[in-house]
Amino acid sequence: MVKFHFSRKQLCIPYALFLILFVIIPMLLILFYAFTETVDGMIRFSFANFVNFFTSTAKLSTLLMSFTVAIISTAICLLIAYPLAYILARSKFKRKNVLLMLFILPMWINFVLRITALRELLDLIGLLGTQNYLNTIIGMVYDFLPFMILPLYTTLEKLDNSYLEAAADLGGNKFTVFTKVTFPLSMPGVISGITMVFMPSMTNYVVSDTLSNFNITILGKLIDQYFTTYDNWHMGSMISIILLVIIFITMLVTGGFKDGKQEARGANLW
Amino acid sequence: MKKRIVTTALALCLLLPFVLSTAGCASDTALVLRVYNWEDYISEPTENEDGTVEDDYVDLIAEFEKAYYAETGTRVRVEYSTFGTNENMYNELQINPGSYDLVCPSDYMIMKMISEDMVEKFSDDFLTNSNYAKYASPYIQNLFEANYATVNGEEHSWADYSVPYMWGTMGYVYNPALSDTIEDDLSSWAGLWSEAYASVATIKDSVRDSYFLGVAVAYRDELMRLKEEYNADEMTLSDEKYAEYNAKVTEIMNRTDEDTLERTKDALLELKENLYGFEVDSGKQDMIAGRISINFAWSGDAVYTMDDAEPYTDEETGKEVPGIYLNYIVPEECSNIWFDGWVMPKGANTELAEAFINFLSDPTNAVANMNYIGYTSSIAGDAVFEEMVDWYSEGEAGDTDEEGNPLVPYDLNYFFNGTSDGAHADGDFIIYVSAESAKRQISAQYPTEEVLVRSAIMQHFDDETNAAVNEMWEEVKGLPIPVWAYVVIAVIAAGIAVIALSYVYKGKRRDSKPKKGYHAVK
Repeated sequence: MVKFHFSRKQLCIPYALFLILFVIIPMLLILFYAFTETVDGMIRFSFANFVNFFTSTAKLSTLLMSFTVAIISTAICLLIAYPLAYILARSKFKRKNVLLMLFILPMWINFVLRITALRELLDLIGLLGTQNYLNTIIGMVYDFLPFMILPLYTTLEKLDNSYLEAAADLGGNKFTVFTKVTFPLSMPGVISGITMVFMPSMTNYVVSDTLSNFNITILGKLIDQYFTTYDNWHMGSMISIILLVIIFITMLVTGGFKDGKQEARGANLW
Repeated sequence: MKKRIVTTALALCLLLPFVLSTAGCASDTALVLRVYNWEDYISEPTENEDGTVEDDYVDLIAEFEKAYYAETGTRVRVEYSTFGTNENMYNELQINPGSYDLVCPSDYMIMKMISEDMVEKFSDDFLTNSNYAKYASPYIQNLFEANYATVNGEEHSWADYSVPYMWGTMGYVYNPALSDTIEDDLSSWAGLWSEAYASVATIKDSVRDSYFLGVAVAYRDELMRLKEEYNADEMTLSDEKYAEYNAKVTEIMNRTDEDTLERTKDALLELKENLYGFEVDSGKQDMIAGRISINFAWSGDAVYTMDDAEPYTDEETGKEVPGIYLNYIVPEECSNIWFDGWVMPKGANTELAEAFINFLSDPTNAVANMNYIGYTSSIAGDAVFEEMVDWYSEGEAGDTDEEGNPLVPYDLNYFFNGTSDGAHADGDFIIYVSAESAKRQISAQYPTEEVLVRSAIMQHFDDETNAAVNEMWEEVKGLPIPVWAYVVIAVIAAGIAVIALSYVYKGKRRDSKPKKGYHAVK
């Protein structure tokens, strides 16, 4: 009888299979489609999609619009989430987990339902149909705020109090302690939050379609159009690749702020 | 060895369900008809959550299976599946050729499929001697015969390859209470551009439909000149000039040259500023809820919207449920006449497919379909006319409505003439309705001849044209960019530059002046 050894390495097999089937192969397919075109039923290599993207007014303005919406949404999320996470994390309140849960709770309700409900609410206030940009940004912030709160909260909660005491001992007032100690130390959380909010805000077209009555087009919508209505998978894949590159660059840039030691502290959850 | 036996046994166990299911199929020798249709596009009973079926609508598929067995003694099983867009359906046929016997694309897709030699011809026997030949409206049949697609360099009539199923026009559904002049204003497509209707209207978030709207406004002057030249206000479908006039309108509405694209884009961009927004399917609900007051709609959806918005009396409680009466109008310049029609993809079981269409073309079954779908069937005949009398008629000639005004005749002879089995004579297909009602459901269900004279079919664009039109549409959807967006981008860029510079500067300073106070904390 052959003894069957079950080692830890074999536990990875399901994940490896998953990775190959659902991450690597699709990525290669997208790459393949992006750099090819179909002419008279024949597929051939081409840079046409790439050139087309950067020469098309429509696509460049969509890119710019997505960028603006994402940047503003991320900034507002950060402005709302930071004080909140700070107060929650530093407070002596015993049941702060319950409070935190209240902020995370919306995440457990179906996303489409939330946005449809928000549409009704905006209609009630009178914003629907008149303030398309504002509505879209409200929707994005509403939707992605928990993704900003969570990493900020975990970072700030783990912040070692002795640093702050030391800073105060050395003569720093509250403001200085915050700007020179607390904030720099919470940077990993800020960066996690930004990446978690920025990326989906560029593509989540359910929000922009529903709340702006299809008046605002963002990149995700454009990709969807190329796959479903225009029946041009090549261009759709090319836009996906470009989006991927943009996100990659954003991560590189924000990653530049990171400090090796802080990462080791495990604050970088995401 | 033992291990191998276990593995084999396991493998066999896995195969078992397949073996069983194949065996199950083998005993069922019925013929199979594979139908691929739009969602919700055939009468079927409502299914309850517990799996039982209501008897509210006729189950046409089951009825066909029964009827076919009764007639031929052979069992047939219909495999019915649905699609959401023409493009999805087309892709599916490209990927799995020969997987369907009968599909139901829209006009331009029918044209594309015919010209790509993807579909089978209908048999002469079917075209001359079937329920379709007998009961389909002569107007619709003529229209299909008069349209051509090029197959392998030869011109072929649509009628040889395709059978119309449902049809209609495009127009505006509107709330007449919005303003006193709304009917006049919306008698032109350009009415939607008026400042008086800012933020109260939606159009379709679909390039084909909205392109049509843009072209109609861009070429409004030319269309109106043409209309005057042919005196089209009084033209009927039997007029000798009708074909010539209609061909000219069709030519204008299908223009895709650079100049047209530019003019259409400008028109639509201007319109976008005035709209409440675009919609895919929410237009009906938004109209009913009163959120918007004008909707650019397909006639079938218009009927649905008007039906649902109307006030009615609840039968159980006897209470009046409030609502609004909406109207439908096809503006004077032109309209789009659209079809969904059956085609048989290459390799289909044509005999069975024709039997199925023959069954659906029976006027009684057409009534069942119209009841369920709400769209207008291409089938005429006594049963359909009587149903329409039941739906719309408010009396006889000479009767008056509730306010004492005489009823007006709504002439449907162009549609029903020649399809009666004897119950009605040609020329008698007139329904008497009040002047208000003539602007409501019935005008969407059956447009008047005067509307049809100026209704153009949207044709299929080739790939290159499609790309150009799509690009135009993207610009309409993606522009204009508000000034503040540029400001935000500029501020962000400046911010990044400042941070980057400060880092470079800090790095230098740190080298020269190491360790100072609380910096050490890091």
